[in-house]
Amino acid sequence: MSSLFGNFFANWDRYRKSIEDPGYRDYENMWAMAIDLGSCIGCNACSTACYAENNLATVGEDRFLARQSMGWMRVERYWDEPSLGASDPDSQERGGSFLPMMCQQCNAAPCEPVCPVGATYNNEGGLNAQIYNRCIGSRYCANNCPYRVRYFNFYSYDKDAWPAPLNRQLNPDISVRDKGVMEKCTFCIQRIRAAKDDAAREGRALRDGDVTTACQQTCPTQAIVFGDLQDPESRVRKAWDAHQVRLGTTEQKKTNPALRGYRVFEELNTESCVIYLERVRDTDV
Amino acid sequence: MPPPTMRRKKIPWLPIIMVLGAIGAVLVIGAQYTDRGLRDAAPRAKGANVAGAITPTDTFKGDLIVQPIAFSHKIHAKDNGINCLYCHTYARRSKVAGIPPTSKCMGCHTVIATDKPEIIKLTKMWENRTPPLWKKINDLPDFVHFSHEKHLRRFLFDNAGQPVERADQVCAMCHGDVKNMTVDVKSKPLTMGFCTRCHEANKGPSSCTACHK
Repeated sequence: MSSLFGNFFANWDRYRKSIEDPGYRDYENMWAMAIDLGSCIGCNACSTACYAENNLATVGEDRFLARQSMGWMRVERYWDEPSLGASDPDSQERGGSFLPMMCQQCNAAPCEPVCPVGATYNNEGGLNAQIYNRCIGSRYCANNCPYRVRYFNFYSYDKDAWPAPLNRQLNPDISVRDKGVMEKCTFCIQRIRAAKDDAAREGRALRDGDVTTACQQTCPTQAIVFGDLQDPESRVRKAWDAHQVRLGTTEQKKTNPALRGYRVFEELNTESCVIYLERVRDTDV
Repeated sequence: MPPPTMRRKKIPWLPIIMVLGAIGAVLVIGAQYTDRGLRDAAPRAKGANVAGAITPTDTFKGDLIVQPIAFSHKIHAKDNGINCLYCHTYARRSKVAGIPPTSKCMGCHTVIATDKPEIIKLTKMWENRTPPLWKKINDLPDFVHFSHEKHLRRFLFDNAGQPVERADQVCAMCHGDVKNMTVDVKSKPLTMGFCTRCHEANKGPSSCTACHK
């Protein structure tokens, strides 16, 4: 009983601390991203790189249309042309807007408390980790995710997604998931683990730039910045600070309205770790 | 109207159910927060004698797997005192310990014990360029990230009390007493419980993602 209350008070203390100092202290790292939508050209290279890095199954057109796609990262397109739904013709924008959407690695993740088996949890790097061996495929997490970035493995893709020579290109650092588990973006946790191992071998702390996610590595316009928010010198922390985006708030208080950073569904208090730098529009609006 | 003595006494069911429910909830939720399940975790008896480490004691009886050449660990590691890391040289710098290439066998066996039947077999394989297809004894599932290098660093190279010459004691923590085996069999379970008990006792990482991938 004492440990019950001890645990409760420890968690409460941690919760209070996180409100008073919206910071990053109880974690070893706080992995985060900053995505510049002004640079994003919607080429889907990030999505393709994710397929290659994380052993994602290509499901084919039929299953894709049945909303059973397995890509952990998708580029959402928004068209502002009046014929496609934008009501005010004066505010129309030429072409489309793109928004790369992957798991936002929420610190207060809505997917976590609903998991009946605790297969998803917040790990020491501030990541929303998914343990495939524990997952029983209840899909509650996907229902509770406001970003719709959890993907259910409906078929045994390990049998048919990589016919004979293609199975040789699978990444050995990440498991091939079988039917019946939920999958999601991990911020390339295998690369984080490898970088940590390398740093430990050389007896130094992890440096900014040691970890590069697959999407960041392949982005032709370098719209994606990835790093550790706890490191005040990291590029991602500078991007967050420059646009006055902080963890631990539901509404960013910006002194300058020209600053662009925002987090998707910030008002839901999911504490997501991905900020988007809004596109600069060349219209009057 | 019945007489007052016949009237059944009203039992306050609702408060009773509420109180019982509250007690049950506290028990159920409290059980999740106690560390009762972990108390038996520390290994009880002593296993391999590694300085500054609590070594696992679990045992496992693996099947005897016939290898292409009847290689004896006892002759090499015990009788002749060859360090494990001499042949399994990748263990100190990579995830896998590695099987030595045939050239490493031939480094000694061009001159040593060349008249033994198994060595004649080996020499023939070496000359025909068909290396022996060793069968794997200790295998971990593909979803596990395990690094020999990190464990050797923790228990051998960064462990002040453990001489590097006694690497076999560190290897024996997970591989059993290979030194006294003529043919290696799996003698430790290498299950998740086996790993986590040792991690708890020796304060290894307990995060799921440290090992699961």
